[in-house]
Amino acid sequence: MTLSRRGFLIGAGAVSLPVLLAGCGFVPQSTPTQRTGTLTFTTWGTDAELAGFRTAIAAFESANPGQTVTLNAVPYEQMFSNIDAQLQAGNPPDIFRVPYYTFGAYAGRGQLLDLKPLLSSDRQAQFTEPAWAAVQNQGGVFGLPHHTDTSAILVNTELLAAAGITEVPTSVEDAWTWEELAAIGDKLRGGLPSGTYPWAYNWQGNGVTRWLSLLFQADGAFLQSDQKTPAIDSDAARKAVEFSSSFFSKGYVPANNTINSSSYASESWFSQSVAMVWSGAFQIPDADATATFDWTATFAPRDVRTGGDFGGNALVATANTAQPELAASFLEFMTDAEQMRDFCAAASLLPTRGDLLNGDLKFDVRPELAPIFAAQAGGVQPQDVAQVASPSMSAIIPVLKEQLDLAFTGAQDAATTVQNLQSGIATAIGA
Amino acid sequence: MARPRRAGARREALAAYAFIAPNYLLLLIFVLVPLVGAFLVSLQRTDGFGDGTFTGLDNYARLASDPLFWRSLGNTLLFTAIVTPLSMAFGLFAAVMLNSALPARPVLRSLLILPMAVSGVATALIGVLIFDQNSGALNKIAQLFGLPSIDWQSQAGPAFASIVIATVWWRTGFNMLIYLAGLQGLGPDLYEAARLDGAGAWQRFRNVTLPLLGPTTFFLVILNVIYSFQVFDIVFVLTGGGPGGATSVLVTYAYETGFVTRDQGYAAAIGMVLFLFALLFAAGQWRASRTRDLVE
Repeated sequence: MTLSRRGFLIGAGAVSLPVLLAGCGFVPQSTPTQRTGTLTFTTWGTDAELAGFRTAIAAFESANPGQTVTLNAVPYEQMFSNIDAQLQAGNPPDIFRVPYYTFGAYAGRGQLLDLKPLLSSDRQAQFTEPAWAAVQNQGGVFGLPHHTDTSAILVNTELLAAAGITEVPTSVEDAWTWEELAAIGDKLRGGLPSGTYPWAYNWQGNGVTRWLSLLFQADGAFLQSDQKTPAIDSDAARKAVEFSSSFFSKGYVPANNTINSSSYASESWFSQSVAMVWSGAFQIPDADATATFDWTATFAPRDVRTGGDFGGNALVATANTAQPELAASFLEFMTDAEQMRDFCAAASLLPTRGDLLNGDLKFDVRPELAPIFAAQAGGVQPQDVAQVASPSMSAIIPVLKEQLDLAFTGAQDAATTVQNLQSGIATAIGA
Repeated sequence: MARPRRAGARREALAAYAFIAPNYLLLLIFVLVPLVGAFLVSLQRTDGFGDGTFTGLDNYARLASDPLFWRSLGNTLLFTAIVTPLSMAFGLFAAVMLNSALPARPVLRSLLILPMAVSGVATALIGVLIFDQNSGALNKIAQLFGLPSIDWQSQAGPAFASIVIATVWWRTGFNMLIYLAGLQGLGPDLYEAARLDGAGAWQRFRNVTLPLLGPTTFFLVILNVIYSFQVFDIVFVLTGGGPGGATSVLVTYAYETGFVTRDQGYAAAIGMVLFLFALLFAAGQWRASRTRDLVE
């Protein structure tokens, strides 16, 4: 048979058309297990976290021959300026790790891949309700909640005993009320040497969102359920501002325990300048290795209800990733029970899967403290998390920092602070 | 009548242009293009993702009614006004001392230059260890001598002083080095003549050394002022701009606005104001300085 030039071109076109169309997304992709490809994954992390990521990546590559993941570990301080620059330049990684309070800034601006059509049907049921709420945006699922962390209180038992306090709450239901915490503060003020304070609060750095725990404990909110209307002008907010300001006016915290302080609360606790510190479980390995005193953990206080910050991070894929299905399959693998359990146990973080948040949860270091942090996390409400995951959170955070700083330094009363928060949040979200 | 051109002048001029062309090219790519880009961003409302909205001079109008901008601008000018003369005076003093026959001169020179080898962030981290008001070295030493502690982090004045002290410590070595180079370029004959005329040590310093160091001083003033306008790392790490904005400077404010609040158009406008100040200062100093080209 003679093959004319035209015939050859038509034949070659017919053969290559499916490949071209597949590249443009016009035909169904092959299943993840049959694909080959490389994903880039950018994250920061402690040594334990990075080791956990590397182990999980090796397991993924071993379970999926031909698929590789390149891990790019960067310092936390550079993480999001790098990611922003890469997104703006159009060369972001396929996958990155993002705190829940930053998540909305990317998801709400079309920078993340909507995983909803790509996930297994049973995925949602595996996560706790607050965790699932944290990765939702405008009806889409823009990430998978990889782990969480919430603040409980680390206690220097030697300093408490010196002030005559020998017992701390052992269940979330028995957590100190705000009034009881204030009484403990007064007792510690009287019983501790001068220059040593009852406690320090971990709202430094980007931790101002941890002040919201007090707002939630007073049953307040800063956004309505539409996430577009400010809701902080309330008695609950005024009460939370008054209570947190009293930490300074009554000398419960060192004067430099401000939101903008360059010294983290944990440093004051490690140096025994304070008896207690609000802290996430991630601090446990450091405390175990370096604290030179006896210590334990207890629950954050409660007011109208228990409440806590929903810390931790999600794993997300960027909207323009060339391999959306591969990215989704990797995210699913990373949040499978085995991977999540191993990662959280080694890094002292809390899983976001309901089946792992049970009595079997163990940290590799000080495993007896894991239930305290798990129970504290159980008090986090989905509606609280949804507010923190607002797309406007990056603009709301500076408002919180500025106004609370003024309240804590005594430059502004609670009523004015809440009014300014209301108007500042309205401006931030463009309401 | 037109002056006759020297033979080969054209070829020399072409060679000169060829030599400076790479510099101009780099200047164009890495300075002018980003500068024009930043100016265009400053005319938009944008979070950096996708296309921004052109808003004309709105971001500049916002600056006028933004108290934190004015406070940051005031802090930047105050910081510059304190740090520049202090670090230059200490640098000159150290250079004069170390240019004379002091014992252990090389060791002292090395000690003063050492901070130059330390990054701004590391300097600030050292500053945190010193100025932490609960566990920092300064307050611990004060307690040892029964002196009152200073609220380096929670009071506006001490917090500002802490960034000034840390910066002066960091910059003095650099100023000393440049002044030392300037001093070593001065010949001994003028001093000998001044001595023969009966000039004392202070008169020799005042009437011979200082004027002859004019170009060095001019160079250092420009560098120090521009550095002070652009101070970021020490403030960012040591005080974070607090307490209550007391140590916020233009660059930390621009950083917060651009990368935390993600209001990049407004941050670019702050950056353009900073650029304008640096430009006006450099131009003013260039015109005003009579000793910039003075040589022995």
